[in-house]
Amino acid sequence: MHDKQFMRETAVEAAHAFRAGRLGRRSFLAICGLAGVTLPSVLAGRAEAAAGEIILWNWGGQSEECHGSAIGVPFTAETGMPLRFDTSGPLQGKIKEMVDSGNVTADVCDGDLFDAVALGASGHLEPIDYSVVSKEKTLPEYALEFGVSIILYGYAFMYDTEAWGENPPRDWADFFDLEKFPGQRSLYKWANGALEAALMADGVAPEALYPLDIDRALTRITAIRDNTIYWGSGSEAHDMIVNGEVSMGMVWQNRGRAIEERTNGRYRMVMNQAIAMPGAYIVPKGNPGGREAVMKFIAVSQSVEAQLGLFSCLGMTPTNPEAIARITPGDAPWAITSAENRPRIVLNDPVWWGQNGDAAVNAFLEAIS
Amino acid sequence: MAALTLRTSGWLLVLPLLGLVVVMFAGPLFNIFWLSFTDPGPGLSNYTALAERESLRRLLWVTLRICALTTLFSVVLGYCIAYAMTHAGEGARQKMLLLLLISFWISVLVRTFAWIMILGRNGLLNNGLMSAGLISAPLPFVRNELGVLIGMVHYMIPYAVLPLLGAMRAIDGRVMAASRNLGASPAQTFWRIWLPLTKPGVIAASLLVFILSLGFYVTPAILGGGKVLMVAEYISVQVLITLKWGTAAMLAVLILVSVLALLALMSRFMKLSAALGGRA
Amino acid sequence: MAAGTGSGPGGISIRALVKHYGTFEAVAGIDLEIRRGEFLTLLGPSGSGKTTLLMMIAGFQDATSGDIRLDDRSIVAMPPEKRNFGMVFQGYALFPHMTVADNIGYALSVRGRPRAEIAARVAEMLELAQLQGMGARLPAQLSGGQQQRVALARALAFSPPVLLLDEPLGALDRKLRIEVQEQLKELHRRLGTTFIYVTHDQEEALSMSDRIVIMRAGRVEQVGTPEELYSRPRTEFAASFLGKSNFLRRDGKVWALRPEKIDLSVATGQATGGRLSGRILSMAYFGSVLKYQVETAEQGQIEVDVDAWRGGGALPVGTAVGLDWSEQAAVLLGS
Repeated sequence: MHDKQFMRETAVEAAHAFRAGRLGRRSFLAICGLAGVTLPSVLAGRAEAAAGEIILWNWGGQSEECHGSAIGVPFTAETGMPLRFDTSGPLQGKIKEMVDSGNVTADVCDGDLFDAVALGASGHLEPIDYSVVSKEKTLPEYALEFGVSIILYGYAFMYDTEAWGENPPRDWADFFDLEKFPGQRSLYKWANGALEAALMADGVAPEALYPLDIDRALTRITAIRDNTIYWGSGSEAHDMIVNGEVSMGMVWQNRGRAIEERTNGRYRMVMNQAIAMPGAYIVPKGNPGGREAVMKFIAVSQSVEAQLGLFSCLGMTPTNPEAIARITPGDAPWAITSAENRPRIVLNDPVWWGQNGDAAVNAFLEAIS
Repeated sequence: MAALTLRTSGWLLVLPLLGLVVVMFAGPLFNIFWLSFTDPGPGLSNYTALAERESLRRLLWVTLRICALTTLFSVVLGYCIAYAMTHAGEGARQKMLLLLLISFWISVLVRTFAWIMILGRNGLLNNGLMSAGLISAPLPFVRNELGVLIGMVHYMIPYAVLPLLGAMRAIDGRVMAASRNLGASPAQTFWRIWLPLTKPGVIAASLLVFILSLGFYVTPAILGGGKVLMVAEYISVQVLITLKWGTAAMLAVLILVSVLALLALMSRFMKLSAALGGRA
Repeated sequence: MAAGTGSGPGGISIRALVKHYGTFEAVAGIDLEIRRGEFLTLLGPSGSGKTTLLMMIAGFQDATSGDIRLDDRSIVAMPPEKRNFGMVFQGYALFPHMTVADNIGYALSVRGRPRAEIAARVAEMLELAQLQGMGARLPAQLSGGQQQRVALARALAFSPPVLLLDEPLGALDRKLRIEVQEQLKELHRRLGTTFIYVTHDQEEALSMSDRIVIMRAGRVEQVGTPEELYSRPRTEFAASFLGKSNFLRRDGKVWALRPEKIDLSVATGQATGGRLSGRILSMAYFGSVLKYQVETAEQGQIEVDVDAWRGGGALPVGTAVGLDWSEQAAVLLGS
C-alpha cells in the first residue's frame, strides 16, 4: 500500500482541488488516469545507485522536493555529490529484502527510529559514525547505534469546532469518551501512537507509558471500536476529518497546521498529550555510496539550515536544539518540541517499538478487525 | 513423423522462454514455499499456527466470507446485465459493452474514493436523504463490511459479465422457442433451459470473480475503515511492517493452493462448456 | 393417446392476417382454412412469408392485424405455451443439456404430469421414433436422422392437435430425406394430427401433402391438392414453382404446358405434323427420361420430356421435329 501512496495522494489532492474548484474536470480525470498509469513506472523507477552520489530512499511526493531543497542543495554544494531519490517508501520489509538479496541500491532511508532498533539488531544496518554525525545535534534519547533522528513528526488529534461549542475536547481521555463527546473517531491503523493515546486516556502518566501495557490499551481501543475508523495514510486521515466522517480524528501532527489553515480553523488540533515520533536516517548494510559519504550526508542534514528548511517545507520539527531555538514565535505552536509544547507532549520510545512493534501491530490489527 | 519433428522443433523454439518463466516465476514461488517452512525456524510452526491462533482463522473466514458474498452479488448482478445485453438490439448492446469496458480503465483507487464521496457520512447519498427528511442521522454505507462489498462488487461486475455474455450469446434462440412451444411458461423456460445452458458461464464467472477477490487489498483497506482485514492486506503487513515472513509465506501458499485447486475445477467446467456450447 | 382422426380438434382458420416488419410486409393479408387432420404444406421460395406465417400460428410472432382461430376460438393473442401446438424446428432445437428421454418428456414434465406417466409416454415415443435404448443419451451423441426423430417425438409426446414442421428435413442428405418423408407420411396417417409443413422443396410438397399452399411475396398464390396444382396451375408462378412448365402465348393469353405432355415426332419432308414445329437444340439424358430443348419459330424454346423406354434412341441435335399435345394438356392461366 505504501508504495502506492504517492499516487494515491496525488489523486486525492487532485480531488480536493477539483472540489474546491481549483482544477477543471478534465484535468482531474487526467490526473486520476495518470495515478493509475504511472504507478508501474514509479515502481520501476528505483534509482540505480552509482559511486559518487547518494540515493535517499523516501516516500516521494512533497518530501522529495523538500529533502532536495533543504538537504540536497547544501550537500551537493559541500561535497560535489548529487542527491538522488528512490521514492518507493523504505518499509522495514523492503529494507530487509534489499539487504538480504545483496543488491543494495539505496544509501540512506528516511525511516523511523524504531526501524533502526529492529533492523540494527538483525544486522541489516550500518552503525552511525558518531565521529562524523553529531550526538549534540539531536535529542539525547534519539542518537542510537544504528540510526539518528533528524526530524520529529507525531500523533495528535483534531476536532470539529462546531461539534461541542464551548466545551471542546482537551486530551486523549476526552477523545476516548463517547458519552461526553459523542461522535465518530479515527485512529492510525498500525498501532503506533494509538496505544500511547489509549493508555493516557486510561490514566497512565505520560512518563510511565513504557513499556506499553498492550492489553490495557486495546481494551480502551476496542471500547470505542464501533465508533472508530482507521487510516493508513496521511491523506486518508485528512479526508476523514475534512469530509466530516469523524468529529475527532488522529492525524500526523505535522499535517495539522495545513488542515487548520485550509478549513479556516473549523478543525483544530489538540497538542496536549501529542506523541512525538523520531523520524530517522538509517543506512542499509553495504550501501553503494560508501560509509564515509553517507555519514557526511547525515551530518549535513543535522545542520540548522537544513532542519529549518524541512520544518517550513514539511512541517516536521527539527531535532537539533539549536534549530528548535531558532523557530519563530509564530511557528512555535506547530513545532512539537518547542518550549511551549515540550511540557505537554510525550516522546515515543523507539527501543520499545523496535523490540515489540511486530507483536503490537498484530495484536492491534486483531483487536480492530 | 513430420508432425512429430514439427512438434519437437516447436518446443525447442519456446524453450528459452520456458526457461525464463521457470526462473522468473517458479523460482520466487519455490522461495515462498521454502520460507513458509523455514522462517523463523525450520518446521511446520507457521502451519500449526493456523490451529493455534484464532485470529488467523478469523482472518481467513472474513476473507472467504467477503469473497463469497462478492462473488454472489457480482454474478447475480452480472447475470442480469448480461441477460439485458443479450436481449438488447445490436446498437444498444455495443453501447452497453463500451460502458462496461470503460469501467475497466478506472483505477481502483479512484473508484474507492468515489464511493466514499458518494456513500460516506457526509456523502451525496446521505446528504440527499437527510435533506429530503428521510433519515435523521447518516447511514453507515462505507467504512464497514458493507462498504467493502459495495466497492468489490462494483469492481468485479465486468469480470462477471464477460464470461456470462459469452455463454448467453452462444444459446440458440430456437431452443428457447422450443421450450415455450412445448408448453413451458417464460419462468419455466428460464429455470429449466436458460439457466442450465448458461451454467458453465456462471461457474466460470464465479471462479474468476472469487479468485480475483482473494487478492483485493486497497478496497477493503479503505472502504472497510480499517476494520475489515482481508488476507492480502494482512500478508502485506507481515512482509513489510512486522517482518513475519514465515506467516506471510504460509498464507500465500494457502491462497495459492486454493486458487490452483479452483482453477483445476474451472478447467473441467470450461471443457464442459465447450461441449455444450458446440451444440447449443 | 393419439389425437383423433379428423373428428377431434385441430382445424385452423386464418383471416386477413398481416405482418409488418417496419415498412416491410412479410405477410400481406392471408385467408386460409386448414382442415383438421390434413397434411398442409406451405410452399414457396425464401422471403415468400411461409416461415413468418408458421411462426404466427405457433405464437412466436405477433400479427400486425387479422385473426387466427383454432376450432373457432381466436388464439391470435395467446402466448405460444398456451396454444398446445407441437413443433419441429429447423435444426431441431433439441435441449443440449438434457437426455433424449428428458427432451421427449419435457412437454409433460412442464405440465406437471406424474413421473410414471411421463416415463410410460417417453417409452412409447421412443418406440414410435425407433429410438429404443437411446433415452439416456445426449442429443450430441446422436446422428442427424436420430436427432430429427427425437425432435418429432418431443413435439408429439403431448398429443398436440396440430404439429408444425419448419423445414424439418433440411439438414438430412437426399437418400435419408426420402426415407423420412415416407415415415412422416405414415405417421400422419396413423395419428390423424393436423400437420402444417413448411418447405421450399417442391418434391417434398408433392409427395407428402394433402393440400399445398403456394406462397409468394407474403400472399397465397394458389391452394389445392398436389394433383390440382400440378394439372391446373392458375399462374405462371404456380406452374413454374411446382414442376416444370412451358408457357405458350397467343392473343394476350398464356397457357401452361407440362414438358411430359408433349408428343414429339420426327418431321418427314414438308409435313411437320402437330401444332408446332422446330429443331432440337440440345438433349439431356436422365435415365428414365430424355429432356429435349426444341427451338420453335412461334414460341421460342420448348422443353419436351420423352420416356426413355419408348425406344428409338436419342435424336441428334438439329433434327427437325413436330410437337403435339391434347386439348386439355394446355392450361389457360389467369382465370
